[in-house]
Amino acid sequence: MNKLVVITGVGLISRLGDSSALLHRDLCAGSNRLDEITEYETHGFGSQPGGSISAFAPETYLSGRALRPLDRTGRLFASAAKLALESSGWSAGYLATNDVGVVLGTMFGSMHTISQFDRQALIDGPSCVSPMDFSNTVINSAAAQTAIWHKLRGINSTIASGATSGLMAIGYAADLIQSGRQSAVLAGGADEFCFESFCGMARAGLLRGSSSQRGCAVPFDERRTGMTLSEAGALLALEDWESAKARGANVLGEIRGHANAYNPAGNQNGRGPDAIIRAMQGALESARMSTGDIDCISAAANGSPVDDKNEAMAIHAVFNSHANSVPLTAIKSVLGETLGAAGALQAIDFVESMRTSLLPGIAGLGEVDEEAASLNLCRQPTLLNVRSALINSVGFDGHACSLIITAPPQG
Amino acid sequence: MMGPAAIAVTGLGVVTSIGVGCEPFWDSLLAGRNGFTRVKSFDTVGYSVHMGAEIQDFCPEDYVLEIDPAAIGRTSQFAIAASRLALLDGGLDLSEIDRARVGVCIGTTSGEPHSIERFNDQYVQGSMNKIGSEFLHGYPCHVVPFHVAKEFGLGGEVMMIPTACAAGNYAIAHAGDLLCAGKTDFMLAGGADSFSRITYTGFARLGAIAPEVCQPFDLNRKGMIPGEGAAVLLLERRDQAQARGARIYCEVAGYGLSCDAHHMTAAHPEGEGAARAIRMAMQHSNIRPDEIDYISAHGTGTPTNDRLETIAVKRAFGKRAYDIPMSSVKSMLGHTMGAASAIEAAVCALAITHGYIPPTMHWQQKDSECDLDCVPNIARKHKVTVAMNNAYAFGGNNSSLVLAASTNSNRERA
Repeated sequence: MNKLVVITGVGLISRLGDSSALLHRDLCAGSNRLDEITEYETHGFGSQPGGSISAFAPETYLSGRALRPLDRTGRLFASAAKLALESSGWSAGYLATNDVGVVLGTMFGSMHTISQFDRQALIDGPSCVSPMDFSNTVINSAAAQTAIWHKLRGINSTIASGATSGLMAIGYAADLIQSGRQSAVLAGGADEFCFESFCGMARAGLLRGSSSQRGCAVPFDERRTGMTLSEAGALLALEDWESAKARGANVLGEIRGHANAYNPAGNQNGRGPDAIIRAMQGALESARMSTGDIDCISAAANGSPVDDKNEAMAIHAVFNSHANSVPLTAIKSVLGETLGAAGALQAIDFVESMRTSLLPGIAGLGEVDEEAASLNLCRQPTLLNVRSALINSVGFDGHACSLIITAPPQG
Repeated sequence: MMGPAAIAVTGLGVVTSIGVGCEPFWDSLLAGRNGFTRVKSFDTVGYSVHMGAEIQDFCPEDYVLEIDPAAIGRTSQFAIAASRLALLDGGLDLSEIDRARVGVCIGTTSGEPHSIERFNDQYVQGSMNKIGSEFLHGYPCHVVPFHVAKEFGLGGEVMMIPTACAAGNYAIAHAGDLLCAGKTDFMLAGGADSFSRITYTGFARLGAIAPEVCQPFDLNRKGMIPGEGAAVLLLERRDQAQARGARIYCEVAGYGLSCDAHHMTAAHPEGEGAARAIRMAMQHSNIRPDEIDYISAHGTGTPTNDRLETIAVKRAFGKRAYDIPMSSVKSMLGHTMGAASAIEAAVCALAITHGYIPPTMHWQQKDSECDLDCVPNIARKHKVTVAMNNAYAFGGNNSSLVLAASTNSNRERA
């Protein structure tokens, strides 16, 4: 009954471009293209790097119909879905005879639309709001709009677990395929950059701060002060292996296992690594692999003083003697924290790392924290024939998710 | 990985405008009481409608015992209350089990809407400096199941499935899958939503709110009454439930989920997606159409929903549709959004257990386009072995959940 789950396509809209090749090129070059967030100075927020993808032009991907019904999160996700459909070869003909599912991971979902809708009602009165905007206030609107745009009639679900949402969504989708519920699913995540999320993160003290105040968002770096908040939409086309083979699909990799865990004590109080340890162990167990089978780790680390340290400690605890040899990379110093999209972007870059045998380094890494000092952190792009990766997502409120991707199955 | 296993419902917790806890809730349903009053939680001046189904006199301190009830939102309070009631009802002593093997999966439409409403109040008043860290830690919808896990010290699979007005069914379906796969030993699964100015404004603008009462399937139905609440089901594998001597209300036999991919707010005109979900649910449960004894309808009471829902059920069941009682408890507790299908799953479990079907209240006149048996106005004694719980959501998301009496048979999932 249990089917193998393979990746047959990818799609992404990110600050570093809209293809896995562009993403990988900039990650390996370590080129930092972060804009400066200055638009909220009137609300009392200082400027700092991060923000929205200024070059994003949704009409490039979503043509022929009015874009007005889609909010920004919906446009990011539907655009990435368009690219994933093309990448996997799920053409209109394929969609006419196959129900494709959609699983979206998102932390904030439609928060900006909700907030604007409510403010308009407050300012102009409840009869002046737009019914179209109301339909997008539901948190699953990006997944639903994507299904409507591309005619995807399979299971349509949305997963929210904070910053781990995107990787959780991929795991959820993989389970639907493994159990035979659905043979093809687009899964990943999206979160737009907006005032509400920026304000929330800033007031919770999670952002890196301005460069002039020595703000630093380099993972595992001892100077780090917090994350760079950005945005993206990214997803994988997942398919059961037999169906993929039957249609001669280009198989990019296999989802071998995944797990998630929650630490009710939160990520502090000395028990911070607990959930991350259990997520990684659970993923290895579900993949029936040991730490020696893992060729590299894609860390969730984003420059958070607390969570990067917890993740380093957790990797030590799980990998033991392998911890100082398994190559470890982290891509958020260049990409920023993209929340719901982050796990899918890590997965996409690993697929590209397998294809190019080149693992990106941690851009800008200086002196390393003592917890991470003996890990094999990639400082530079490293030529490496990687065939398996453990991908981590870590939330800032006690949740963790790990997923294992390997090279395509043989046969 | 384990093979398919029967999933037992061993505890129920409900928090509604017509009763908190199974007994008062069930008594109200059978008596046909409703929770409709003028909206109290915000001022409806300037609105064309004023009725809601809010929960009166809810005391979070009675249920939220480990974390600070004042530090969490109303939806989280409801979810914790429903979870505590489900754990008590299921006779599960958490101190005796591995809490890392207990998970929480909740569905919602709005999560913690009051948090963003307060944010917007500050924004409009120009007092953004009053926004602190509580906004980030209080608003994103995943905090609802996280708060439940925190309250009870649970470390298993914890997630929110925010698939709007069908979310409860999605959460219960996924929880069943996790148990089936052996990933957890217990799941608290359900839905929660609190009364929201934003939701009310939107449905009022759509003209979907009834001026007085909700009267699903009636010729003169005028819309829904927005409500609030939560329901949580304690789920576990049947063999484990039997081994610990737990009472088994029923089993989660299977589910079907589909997407119309048609329109954001309008259902497919021929009920295509909804009928597909119904068929998938029966196939997944290995249940034939003639075995379904009761359908808990989505039944919002809007002119369009009830008409299209009737079309979908006929499309899936053919002539048999006329023989299946199909009532809507939204006629009493209003539309509780993401909580609705979880509450209605609890209704199915109670109908199976007690052999009664709750009525569709306020039904007066037959609509030829809604001509199925909606159990009008009076609860009916009726043996229910298999019940189907249908729920639909914005985005064209369709869900059908099958709950069946525990027969100890080998009716396994397909």
